[in-house]
Amino acid sequence: MTTPSAKPKAMIQDNTRCIGCRACMIACKSWNNRPADHTEFFAGAGYQNPIDLDANNYTLITFNEIVTGAQPDWVFGRQLCMHCEHPACASACPTTALTKTALGPVVFNESRCIGCRACMQACPFLIPKYDYENLNPKIHKCTFCADRIEAGLKPACATVCPTGAISFGDRDDMVAEAKRRIATAPGTYIPEIYGLDEVGGTSVLHLSSVPFEQIGYITGLPKTPMPDLTHRWLRVTPHFFALLYAVFGALTWIMHRRSSRSESKGDTM
Amino acid sequence: MNWRVRLTWWDLVLLAIMAVGVVLAVVRYAGGIGSVANINNAYPWGLWVGFGVMTMIALGGVGFTITGLVEVLGRHRYHALLRPAVLMGLLCYISAIVMLMVELGRPWKVWMILVSWAPSAALYEVGWCAFLYLTVLALEFAQVPLEQLGWGRLLGALRVIYIPIMLLGVTLSHLHQSSLGTLLTLIPHKINVLWWSDRLPLIFLFSAIMAGPAMAILEHLAAARWLGFTPNLDMLAGLARIEAWLVGLLLVFQIGDLVYRGGVDAALSWTWFAASFWVEIGFGLLLPLVLLMMPEVRASRAGLGTACGLIVAGVLLHRLNVAVFGLRVRHWETYTPSLGEIGITLGIAAGALFVFGVLSRILPIHEELPTTPASPPRAAAPAGAWHGAKSLP
Repeated sequence: MTTPSAKPKAMIQDNTRCIGCRACMIACKSWNNRPADHTEFFAGAGYQNPIDLDANNYTLITFNEIVTGAQPDWVFGRQLCMHCEHPACASACPTTALTKTALGPVVFNESRCIGCRACMQACPFLIPKYDYENLNPKIHKCTFCADRIEAGLKPACATVCPTGAISFGDRDDMVAEAKRRIATAPGTYIPEIYGLDEVGGTSVLHLSSVPFEQIGYITGLPKTPMPDLTHRWLRVTPHFFALLYAVFGALTWIMHRRSSRSESKGDTM
Repeated sequence: MNWRVRLTWWDLVLLAIMAVGVVLAVVRYAGGIGSVANINNAYPWGLWVGFGVMTMIALGGVGFTITGLVEVLGRHRYHALLRPAVLMGLLCYISAIVMLMVELGRPWKVWMILVSWAPSAALYEVGWCAFLYLTVLALEFAQVPLEQLGWGRLLGALRVIYIPIMLLGVTLSHLHQSSLGTLLTLIPHKINVLWWSDRLPLIFLFSAIMAGPAMAILEHLAAARWLGFTPNLDMLAGLARIEAWLVGLLLVFQIGDLVYRGGVDAALSWTWFAASFWVEIGFGLLLPLVLLMMPEVRASRAGLGTACGLIVAGVLLHRLNVAVFGLRVRHWETYTPSLGEIGITLGIAAGALFVFGVLSRILPIHEELPTTPASPPRAAAPAGAWHGAKSLP
């Protein structure tokens, strides 16, 4: 992978291959310069640690105890920015501090951020996090290692996974690969690719052996892009502005004329 | 202009609340948002945005509603409410800006909105419109002190542009009041079905319009009491009739919208959401509607005060329901406003009230009060009712 092709990229998170080693979490911290944190073991769901994504953790392996056979079993899931094809966060940002790049990553430009946190509110996957204690706070989320991708490298997490649970490549190829895996091992996978068309499609595609809601994924999301919800209103705003200004102007003129006429006749209102 | 203001007991109470707010704000700037606030990754907005921004801007809608009523629709009998309404609007918007300076993570970057191009972001539109409308309000209101100071040429210029500027203000208000609702249409996954709607922009616009007359009536009654003039109850009764229509229309629209979206089951369930919803609808819309339909209520100070107080509280609860109480993210994530958040929010609101009280004693805001003989220059004066109303009864 020396010459980067300009096609949009994607990543497969194959949870059936995940052994919960959390090497991806460490590689992520390492590449993004996130400090280690003191966490409390067993603070959340069993061995999962930390309990959620935060300003220091851009990705997280979730540990889910699920009874599939005779005894409970670990089923792992992974949280990270989905890098939506039509990101709600970017559409909510009033200063374009978040943008979707041609290669796929949704990147954060610190220098434009005013700290309104509309992106956090907007994200259907609840990904962007904030460092509220910081005097110069930032939005924190997975970067898809945009800098590495630009340079033709894989994201840090994808380079360290010892079981091949994380694959990276052109999105078209990744979608085909995900479909191929489901087709060749229907007993291993549920027939669903999380991210294929959730909120209009994402650049991270998840595969699983159990329904996604059982491993902590947010399900029931619309298949249409989230920004459509606001665009249909905001699209008409300029026209609305011109129309209202004209109508109010006309009304003012009519009312003014009427009142000055009645005045010249000597009436009062 | 009468500069000697004797501070009353009420002023001192407001100043004390402001002082607490200032202390808390210092803590916030020294230690970050996390040092005073409970807002968190799941609930990034909380009371500061729900009350300090969303509600303040809705209540500030009194500026454009009364301006629209008097200047655009030519209802000159409500002329006496115009200056207080514009001043209330101005102070509400300034409060919202002050709130943003506390609430934003990087307030020193706020100008970025003005040098960005993000037409797909509701907040971008809100930011621009609110900024322009604040300018409009300032230009409108500036005429009051300028008259007193006798700056005739500047005043003349402001009067020439008054009508187009006033129209701009009324138009911009329609846009950003609704855009605040548009902002929240983006998060159907977080807002309870009782409040999330495709038509939130319209509900936000209608409720801001509805808040206007209620605020104006409350202000007139309060000013009459504290400043010592006889309230014009005839005028208020007329406005209360209009208000009854506005309340009724919003009630029908909001319930109709809920039924259309299939939210009736949620409204009839035993949840805190449903309880909050029915308090909002029952006490914020239904009860005031019934009250305002009674002529005796419209003719009495206590009746008007109660009905309009309920309406304003209802708008407040609606904004809090949509932006704070009605939000659920994941079951283990919670949010309760901290005392720090409440203190700063109240401090800002107290500041707005205090400034209003002081200005209404040193400037001719209320035409019922005898003006000091500063005899404003009424030279080159075209235009509307704002300028002492040639078509007054």
